[in-house]
Amino acid sequence: MDRYALFLGCTTPTQVIQYELSSRWICKHLGIELVDIDDFVCCGINQVNLSQESGLLLAAMNLAIAEAKGLDILTLCAACTGALAEAVEKLKDQETRDRVNRKLKTIKLEYNGKTRVKHISRVLYEDVGIDAIKRKIKRDLSNLRVAPHYGCHYLKPESAFEGFDDPDNPKTLHQLISAAGAYPVQYETLNLCCGGKSFPISKELAPSLVQKKLDNLKNKKIDGIIVQCQTCYLMYNDQQKVINEQFRKQYNIPVLLYPQLLGLALGGEPQSDLGLDLNAISLNNLLTQAGTNRKI
Amino acid sequence: MKQDKSEQGAVRIADLDPDFKSEVMKHEEAQGLNACFACGTCTAGCPVHEIFPEYSPRKLAKMVKLGMRKEVLSNPHIWYCVTCHTCEQRCPQNVKFFNILNVLKNMAAKKGYAPSPWVEQTQQIMQTGLIFPLDEALAKKRKSFSLPTLKSNGKKAKILIELAGLDKIKSKK
Repeated sequence: MDRYALFLGCTTPTQVIQYELSSRWICKHLGIELVDIDDFVCCGINQVNLSQESGLLLAAMNLAIAEAKGLDILTLCAACTGALAEAVEKLKDQETRDRVNRKLKTIKLEYNGKTRVKHISRVLYEDVGIDAIKRKIKRDLSNLRVAPHYGCHYLKPESAFEGFDDPDNPKTLHQLISAAGAYPVQYETLNLCCGGKSFPISKELAPSLVQKKLDNLKNKKIDGIIVQCQTCYLMYNDQQKVINEQFRKQYNIPVLLYPQLLGLALGGEPQSDLGLDLNAISLNNLLTQAGTNRKI
Repeated sequence: MKQDKSEQGAVRIADLDPDFKSEVMKHEEAQGLNACFACGTCTAGCPVHEIFPEYSPRKLAKMVKLGMRKEVLSNPHIWYCVTCHTCEQRCPQNVKFFNILNVLKNMAAKKGYAPSPWVEQTQQIMQTGLIFPLDEALAKKRKSFSLPTLKSNGKKAKILIELAGLDKIKSKK
């Protein structure tokens, strides 16, 4: 059985707990053991804005903690994935690693380059596998047409991801959606960023980017957008409501985290197993399409 | 002396700082800057540029090369990057503009231009280890979904942040 240290990050376990809930449920269901680690801290991605060294030290601290337990890291947030994987890459350089380890020593930690970092979708794709997922499907989702959204840091910087997917023409989430039985639609703004990382600085930028994608998707007859990062979720879900109010738009596109979609396909209970009732935009139509006859 | 209209907004050689570029390029992350021939592929693919045309990776790279220290470091738009990495993904010269921008932001932060949200996040991490407080309401919410109590190690994070000198950074007034 696969065993990973679960890296929750900051935002998922505090603001988007349905992502954590559904991820834990599908992992349990598919035989991936998740180990909770009390000492993990912020991945350091925003720290990089003010001090690259500070960001690298926080990432290295997390890598060292997992290494001491002999575990690789499973992430949920795309940004945490990018920050930690980039740190793994940077710390391959002996000089950088020595410098960082001198500082980690003050908190009795050391990183020797053993820990690897994988996003939950990559674990599903590589460790579980598309065919094995297909064999476990219990609920038919073939009526669902959904738009995949990858999240920039799930794919980039490219050098940190060992070529497991192509940042310019990504495929893994499409295949995971198909494995869950739903249909991934093609659309022009597939690679457009959600803008989440600018949100603390500008309240206009992210909504403008979100609106571009929603505009592109509104005539595609989709049942929802599938994301694999809680920040992308918050942008497309929460900002969709703000855009509707501020610009008198009437977008009404449900947004699901991938583990919620897969959880539905695996026969999970929408509310208690997958937290679908916590998603702000009503999923009742989507659930009817999914044949659950369940209202939440 | 009355300024000629054609000179408005023009770069004056006397105002340029020839040391700025080498200071930026001392940082390993920014060493690719010399390979930039200002083709603008970065800016053409930049989603921020589409919304705010004032933000342009090509222009910023050029400004650094010219030595426009103050105009770069005090530029509010350097903080608008959404970190999508498209610029470096598309660059034909393999320049990592994203990394160069981080060097510029770090320098700007030291000069007192750090936006308050990032400084506040640092202060929060020094307390709880995460960018959010861990309060009673959250503990209750997590418990109601049978999720384990959320913990983190703010003490150790604080030590590392202090070692990086980030605790001394003040936000822009």
